[in-house]
Amino acid sequence: MPFISPLALAGLLFIPAVIAMYLLKLRRDQAVVPSTLLWSRLLTDVEANAPWQRLRRSLLLLVQLLLVLALVLLAARPFLERPAGLARDIVLVMDTSASMGATDVAPNRLAAARDAAMAALKDLPTGGKVSVIAADRTARIVVNETTDLSRVRQAIDDLRPAPTRGDLGDALELASKLATRSGEAQILVATDAALSTPPTVKVSAPVKVLPVGRDRKNQAIVALAVRTAPSAVTRSVFISIANVDLERADRRIELWGDDRLLEARDVTLEAQARADVVIDDVPNDVGTVEARLVSRDPSVTTPDQLAVDDHAWAVLPTTRTRLVLVVGEGDPYLETALSYLPSVELYGVAPKDYGASTQRTDGRPWDLTIFEGYLPATLPTTPILAIAPPSSGPLGQVTGTLKDPGIGSLDPAEPILRYVDLSTTHISAAQQLTTPDWARTVIPGPKGSPLLYTGVRAGLPTAVLAFEPRRSDLPLQVAFPILLSNLTGELLGGSTAPTDAVAPGSPVSLQVPAGATGLTVTRPDGTTTELVPSLASGSAVTYALTDLPGIYTVTPTGLVAASPAPSGGAGPTPRPSAASSGGPSASPPLVVDPSTPVRFAVDLFDLGESSIAPGSPGAIEALGATAVVPGASAAPGSPVAERPTTRDELWIPIVLIVLVGLCIEWAIYHRDAVIRVRRSLSGALRRRPDGGTA
Amino acid sequence: MTGPSIGPPPSDPAERPAGTPRAEAGTRPAFLPNEVDPTVFDEAFLRQLERLLLLMRSPVRGGLKGGRRSVKRGQSVEFADYRDYTMGDDLRQLDWNVYARLERLFVKLFVEEEDVTVTLLIDASASMAAGTPGKLLFAKRAAAALGYIGLASEDRVAVTALSGRTARRRTALRGSGRVFRLLADLSAIDPAEGPTDLLAAARHAGAQLHGRGIVILLSDLLDPSADKVIRELAATGSELIVMHVLSPDELDPALEGDLRLVDSETGEGIDVTVDLATVDAYKARLAAWKADLADLAAKRRASYVDLSSDQNLADLMFAELRRRRVLG
Repeated sequence: MPFISPLALAGLLFIPAVIAMYLLKLRRDQAVVPSTLLWSRLLTDVEANAPWQRLRRSLLLLVQLLLVLALVLLAARPFLERPAGLARDIVLVMDTSASMGATDVAPNRLAAARDAAMAALKDLPTGGKVSVIAADRTARIVVNETTDLSRVRQAIDDLRPAPTRGDLGDALELASKLATRSGEAQILVATDAALSTPPTVKVSAPVKVLPVGRDRKNQAIVALAVRTAPSAVTRSVFISIANVDLERADRRIELWGDDRLLEARDVTLEAQARADVVIDDVPNDVGTVEARLVSRDPSVTTPDQLAVDDHAWAVLPTTRTRLVLVVGEGDPYLETALSYLPSVELYGVAPKDYGASTQRTDGRPWDLTIFEGYLPATLPTTPILAIAPPSSGPLGQVTGTLKDPGIGSLDPAEPILRYVDLSTTHISAAQQLTTPDWARTVIPGPKGSPLLYTGVRAGLPTAVLAFEPRRSDLPLQVAFPILLSNLTGELLGGSTAPTDAVAPGSPVSLQVPAGATGLTVTRPDGTTTELVPSLASGSAVTYALTDLPGIYTVTPTGLVAASPAPSGGAGPTPRPSAASSGGPSASPPLVVDPSTPVRFAVDLFDLGESSIAPGSPGAIEALGATAVVPGASAAPGSPVAERPTTRDELWIPIVLIVLVGLCIEWAIYHRDAVIRVRRSLSGALRRRPDGGTA
Repeated sequence: MTGPSIGPPPSDPAERPAGTPRAEAGTRPAFLPNEVDPTVFDEAFLRQLERLLLLMRSPVRGGLKGGRRSVKRGQSVEFADYRDYTMGDDLRQLDWNVYARLERLFVKLFVEEEDVTVTLLIDASASMAAGTPGKLLFAKRAAAALGYIGLASEDRVAVTALSGRTARRRTALRGSGRVFRLLADLSAIDPAEGPTDLLAAARHAGAQLHGRGIVILLSDLLDPSADKVIRELAATGSELIVMHVLSPDELDPALEGDLRLVDSETGEGIDVTVDLATVDAYKARLAAWKADLADLAAKRRASYVDLSSDQNLADLMFAELRRRRVLG
């Protein structure tokens, strides 16, 4: 039997030491007895039964010799050698996506994958190296080429299921690059293969899948949205629930607003189908809502096998009234469309009256200034929409005019053009502009001249429309109010945080309010992160720690109280507004504190991850190269490479022998006490049938 | 070395041996001599002892008239048989009622009551002094009780101490009035200081016996020739009663560990590792040894009584020995 530490066999020298201790004469206590007659006869009896009796008396010695032998063997680390089942270099890909948190295997799929990986690594050749990649939304290396399996175990013990969509293709690509560093590498993928987007990357090394998971019982909230009614009076919550199981499920959806239960509804979900729930009349004082998919039986806390998709959060849009100033001669189409925007108070002023007198007396700045065919010499420090700017300026270069400009190819992903159909729009005349560096083209025109562009200029949202609406048939189309709504929505911002739910792990761009030095983001678990813009003039920061689903709160830091702006001269004239409850004279709008925290929600909303049915390992293994027998890759004519072997250390049986030996030694040493206990117990049992002795 | 004697009681009641009646402090009976321990017997206990009698398996031929049935026909009041009248017979023994009916002369025969000698053999070896409570002290007290019963039965009672290789026999006593002499004789017995050859001493004691009687051996029998001692004494023709006295720590030794056991008589030691199994084996060996001695005694028509030195003396006299038909 080979040993890893043969020098430890020198410990066998302790065996003579143990025997010598038994050979040393005992120092016995003297006891005077009336006669040794009976004791002498007793010893005669014992010796008459030798050698068994003598052996029994030396049992303690035998056990101690066995213990010394076992401990020496343990120190010498004996092992058995056998052919290894894995290559010398292993890249272990651990799927940590949301579906790996499914509890169809106890405690969850990731723990089962961890056990499967460690069991597979027992076939690692002696001296083999292991790299570990965690694959969730992105792939990251957690252990790089180590021969220490305890380090590998520690690393994969620290992995937790991430509530994000998994990207196994990214991880396989990274694993393939790691595998190419070695001539003989193999990729192990511990996954449930429940992939919404199957990987297509080709891997240069053999791939072996360690499959986990066996069930698909899951229902999930796949959408949660809050919509404000056109009247801007009531709000509705839209919830979409999917049942990915093959059986019908009865569940209950609860809607909580600011931690109080608003409504609960029982829903029946057909197999492999979705159900939509709309809850109207959400109270106006509710800032955030949480949807919970629970069991109808309150005692059942885990109604399905994946809990992360049973909760969803949403932030209700703010109902703050926005102040919009239109500087122009008055376009009835434009003013009518603007007046129907919710929560907007519209004011108008002629270009000749625009100046310092247009500043509000209450100190509140304009939320948006619209210049119609006019641009002042000094632009205000507010978001600006310039319509048909007459001349070049900071907002862009005017190079001429366009007659009957056609509309170019539109980007369907452009948010400003969402639900906007410009296919039948005709424009009679427009300014010929050049898109500045700070802007992106929204509506392209002829010869690269934009008809609408937008961007952030000096920290202020700015848009330029090259034509007056009345010089086109756009105001006569449905697309006009929608375009205007999207455009003002972009310019007004509404919030420094995203209004739609953010996918876990996705970075978020957060606007820093004017005057603030940074932002403090409070995560759903209560931890906070301080964010500071990278440049002094920057107004947005990127936040990436969105791995926890829930409500994130963004609080501006370093704000000072705004001083009222000077007022004087002719003030702007209020224009009729459908959404406003009254003019400033009737009901002055409240001053909104810019330091008010804003919130955004992070939700999984990924039907692919919620579909926890285990996939086919073969599809993933097919991406890898053809497996070769470890060690059999020797070129013809070259010496045959020695087939790698692995070692199975025999410490477990030796430790068991030591433990059993210790127990036997204890029992021998205290056998009198053991016998007394046994006798007292048997005596008590014998007395019990008689009703006890009491 | 002086062994335990029937002297003043220990001051601490806890040290008082079991079976010792309690005496009120400072109330010594006036009739007790100074050399006799007043706590051993009180007057009520002595009166109870007077009702007892040492039983014999067969009638004995004694010397003086006593209280026991004899093989001879004699002058007692207990009728035994008739025989024809012959010349010279005592005319007072004729049964005139029978003569009136049958006109023949018959002489009534009565059971002759004769005395016997009760020999109390006290093993005074050094081993008898060991143990707690002391076996020799217990043996002397039991001998005193049995001796008093003998004296009360008009038997002759002789005390013999076995020590060394000899038996030291005291003068035989007769009559209950000699009880204090009996107690003094017993009090004077001291344990031997050297080894005792119990067989040689028993042979010596057997040679001192005169005729048939009752021999009561009080000993721990911790001698390699204990069986021969029983055989020798049973062969004397006397009724042998073996009272085998062992101390509680001999019956259930409280020893444990690696010990060197030293013999109190010879001073020789043996090395023993005592554990529960060893103690169990010792107890088994002791029980087998006592069973062998009891079998041997039964075969030799002797009585065998095994005793513990912590046994209550009253229980021994009024219950244990009566149950074993030693006392009646």
